[in-house]
Parts: sequence; C-alpha cells; structure tokens
Amino acid sequence: MQTDTALPTVRRTITQEQIVRYAEASGDHNPIHIDEEFAAASQFGGRIAHGMLIAASISEMMTAAFKIDWLNGGTMKLRFRAPVFPGESIETTGVVKSTREVGGRREVTCTVDVRKEDGEAAINGQAVVTTALK
Amino acid sequence: MPVNYAKLGPGDEISKRTLILDEESVKRYAEAVADSNIVYDDKGRWMVPPMAIAALSLGGVINDLEIPGGTVHASQELVFPRAVPVGSALGCTAKLIQNSTRGEWRFMVVDIRVTGDGEVMSGKSTIMLPADA
Repeated sequence: MQTDTALPTVRRTITQEQIVRYAEASGDHNPIHIDEEFAAASQFGGRIAHGMLIAASISEMMTAAFKIDWLNGGTMKLRFRAPVFPGESIETTGVVKSTREVGGRREVTCTVDVRKEDGEAAINGQAVVTTALK
Repeated sequence: MPVNYAKLGPGDEISKRTLILDEESVKRYAEAVADSNIVYDDKGRWMVPPMAIAALSLGGVINDLEIPGGTVHASQELVFPRAVPVGSALGCTAKLIQNSTRGEWRFMVVDIRVTGDGEVMSGKSTIMLPADA
C-alpha cells in the first residue's frame, strides 16, 4: 500500500431498527439511543446512533482493506464529532497517510473519516495496521 | 445504591466481567452493524470482528458504572494485539484513569483491558456525563 491510496469506502443508512439491534447486541441501552421521549428532551432533540455503531464502519473498512492483519495488531484513535440520527446516511473513507518499516514489517498509518450526507464529520481519526513487507 | 461519580478516582476498578464471543453473539453483532466481512485464520477458524469485542466490553462497563441516560461518548482509542476465534471466553477489566468536571459536564476516562490467550484488546474511552448526575 502506498501513501495516498484510498481504502474501500463504506456507505450505510442508519436506521432506528439497527440502533435497537446494536443496543441488544452490545448491552448499551442508554435511552439517548432508544427512548424517543427521553431523547427528544435531550440536547440532541432526538434519538442518536451509538458512536461505536458508527465506528464499526471504520473497522469494516480496515478489515476489507487489510484482512486478518487488521485483526492482528490494528489500532484506532477516534473522536466522535457529531451525532448520527436514524435515517441519516454515512460515508466512511480512509487514506494511507504514511508507511514505514518496523521490525521487518510495514506499518501503515491511515486517516479515517465518517461523514454524514450533509458533509458534517461524524467521526474522524487515525487507524494503524502492520502488514508483511512486499 | 446509585453510583456517586464524584467519589470515583483514578485506579478504581469499575468493571470486571467475562465476555462470551460465541457464534450467536458474534452473528448478532455483525447483523447489528451490517458488517458482512468474514475473516478466517490459517487454521480455518472464524475470527471475531474486533469491534465486537470493543462493543461487548464497553457495554459491560456502561452497565456496571450505571451510566446515566444522556451520557455522551467523546473519544475512543483501541488496540487489537491479536485476533480472537469465535467461541472464545474473554476476561474484561475496566479501571477509571481520569475523573474531572468542566462546566456542566463530568469527563471520565476509562481504561479497558480484555484478555484471552494474552491481551486481545486494550482501549481508552472518554465519556461525558452531566456533572450533577
């Protein structure tokens, strides 16, 4: 992988049904995600997706690009910038920022970004993976 | 008794759980996030999506800390040192490393370690909850 290589884009529309399923799968039943009345009275004005549900799209992108190498040593540093509301679509992208040889392997650093359809950043950050030297 | 967040300090252990990453729980997670990637190791074993480990470990912390509704996840760092085969039982321990207030919000930073055959995940979660919670 060379610098400026684009990773495979992930696109999703986030639904309330998916948010509920994520709550069940993860055990995170924070009412901000699932209670319409509670969420309406919150600073967000409505239910929002779990940040980690949205972040999962970054790991999905890294897995598609790097396969088991991502699972064996991948790292992420993410900031959650804006909430994603049910019905909104997201686009997750990544670009190789730099590569370097470390301990006989190649360390690949990527900037990663999740944007909503209006262009607002939902999550941004960095992901690092090591691969075989080729 | 409700958690007194003001009294929690760095080093306090706030969660200790066993996570079961069986086929059912991994499928449930993969369907919830709509991730169709399936990765096998060189022994042909189905490997757990790393964020499934993160999701379950964070879910346990949220429940054990009795996080109030309206808590916001501000940032997340994660390291996945080694892949985990589906069917694994993992140990998860979470400790508070920072607890401070700024204006209307309390900021808590939680260190999470998940072990199986060695450490399989480490993470640092920054959460914001109402300072008067």
